[in-house]
Amino acid sequence: MITAGIDVGSLSTDAVLMRDGDMLSQIIINTGAMARTAAERAFELALSAAGLRASDIDAVVATGYGRMNVSFADSQVTEISCHGRGSAWLSPGVRTVIDIGGQDSKAIRIDGRGNVVDFLMNDKCAAGTGRFLEVMAQRLELELGELGREDQQATGAAQISSMCTVFAESEVVSLIAQGVPRPEIIRGLHRSIAERTAGLASRLGLAPEVMMTGGVAKNPGVVRALSEKLGVKIILPPEPQIVGALGAALIAQYKAPVSPAKR
Amino acid sequence: MSRGNWPLDAMYEMGQFAFKEIGRAYTDKTPVVWTSAFFPVELARSLGLNPFSPEVAAAYIATLGFGEETLNMGEQAGYSRDICSFHRCIAGAASAGNLPRPAALLASAHLCDGAPLLFQNLAALYGVPMLALNTPYDSGPEAVRYVAWQMEQLWLNLAEITGQRPDRDKLAEAVCRSEEFRAQMQRVNDLRCRVPAPVSGNDMLGFVYLYFIGQGSREAAEIATALGKEIECRMTGLGRSGKAGIQAEKYRLLWMHLKPYYNDEMMKFVERSGGVLAMEEFSHIYWPPLDPNQPFLSLARKAVSHFAFKPINERVRVMAELARKYRVDGIVHFSHHGCRMASGGALMIKDALQEEGWPVLVLEGDCIDGRNEACGGMMTRMQAFLEILQERKLGCAI
Repeated sequence: MITAGIDVGSLSTDAVLMRDGDMLSQIIINTGAMARTAAERAFELALSAAGLRASDIDAVVATGYGRMNVSFADSQVTEISCHGRGSAWLSPGVRTVIDIGGQDSKAIRIDGRGNVVDFLMNDKCAAGTGRFLEVMAQRLELELGELGREDQQATGAAQISSMCTVFAESEVVSLIAQGVPRPEIIRGLHRSIAERTAGLASRLGLAPEVMMTGGVAKNPGVVRALSEKLGVKIILPPEPQIVGALGAALIAQYKAPVSPAKR
Repeated sequence: MSRGNWPLDAMYEMGQFAFKEIGRAYTDKTPVVWTSAFFPVELARSLGLNPFSPEVAAAYIATLGFGEETLNMGEQAGYSRDICSFHRCIAGAASAGNLPRPAALLASAHLCDGAPLLFQNLAALYGVPMLALNTPYDSGPEAVRYVAWQMEQLWLNLAEITGQRPDRDKLAEAVCRSEEFRAQMQRVNDLRCRVPAPVSGNDMLGFVYLYFIGQGSREAAEIATALGKEIECRMTGLGRSGKAGIQAEKYRLLWMHLKPYYNDEMMKFVERSGGVLAMEEFSHIYWPPLDPNQPFLSLARKAVSHFAFKPINERVRVMAELARKYRVDGIVHFSHHGCRMASGGALMIKDALQEEGWPVLVLEGDCIDGRNEACGGMMTRMQAFLEILQERKLGCAI
């Protein structure tokens, strides 16, 4: 059986194709302004990478905030369940998943089969999310991917008190004006995210092993700060950004196959 | 709306009753008294006064789509966005002169400590008296006597203020009707134990008018009786749908606190997904039978016996009891932003009920103010919770 998982997130749209439990292809593209178009494009690219046609796919599950806009999906499952299933497939010992995406963060507790037992989600504001880092990177004149590297050069961490993205940005402006070295500001920002996320995870009840998923997991500065704050080792998947789409493709295996003519 | 457009005939009757009373509050010469939620309305009804619940009015304002502009008016009148949106909405509607002018405001401090403070402000705005019941955080005999004594004094004061004659027979009659309502709603609740649920709890939450303001009225007792008969009829497949119960039922939920009134999208999503509110905290008959021969003592016992007006483990105990009785698959605590009384203990309640084996979702939201919400996030939480229930119930992957 060949299945597809499409994760339409606020910043990126990811697609994964699987055949009988083996991953065939994975794609990450920017969501942009049109979630529907992004989903179609990611699916096309994933098919192309695997050398398949849409009619070869037995079932498609959509997830992410834009899951309802994926017209070719057979069903929609929340990113909470998908990250749980994807994490357990990657590392069966995982019991806690911390997913920091573009616009929200989640702590998810799962059982040995990857079923969600409980979860907490913060989507009230951009604090502690990918968007927070994006705004700060822009202010610091860096690419998002450069933040982790800069953090490694820090000898200390600036104090960032505000959780709010707007206020934290003001703090960053003040720190720049005071001449605080950029790496120290970045480490301070990473600690601020770690502080907030650790609160969420601790409230849920942290059970080892802990895996971090979502785009922010690609930032080693945040991962280190969070690991220190929680006092646990954090497992990172080879590609943290596709775990939701991977989980969706796994869940699609349990969905009734549809007629290939449908796609 | 015609009768056929309402999900239940009894709900249509309740709508007629509510609109009649609310309309009368604007047009009739009978003095209007505002009562806060949980205030014993029987005291006002027995004096021939027209009771008006501004909190229910706020829910109607939000349902009709005027919530945002009314909330804005409340905020312009000086009410912070941190306080309960029911109260901000009332303040806004009052400052715009959109509510019926009261002869007095009546509030009880139990279960909602914001209402007496708001009522105090509004009493000053209208230049009318505000009478308050001080309900102690204790349900012993001394507390009951203390509250009963206050109720009697308040009743006599209210009669004097509004120029009505206090008639103890009429008070006994009002309490008698409340007892009828209590017994009939208990019957309704017993019928609701059936699987699949014979009635949607989302619809049952629409009966809030009867619980808050209908007490002591002939209509509330009659509607409760008719509701029981209608549900019995449904259970035999002779109801309007011709089916015995909600056929689409997949997950039975116990619903704590209220729901969003400004937008029904989330509740409809629950129903579409096969979620049925098998029982609501709000519909639970928690108080003992009322004795018309001891009206003040009976109403005082009712006031102090509320399970949420006790240490938090009592609310947990009652919810666990309801969860067992109604054989629910999961529990949702809708945490209305402004309600510290309900939401303050939500996480402790979650922990305690989870320990007893029920999945619990604390769903943060607002009943009136849609400006605080990202609907997508709320739906994602709810859908993820239903996915947990599916996995548990069916023992298979979603």
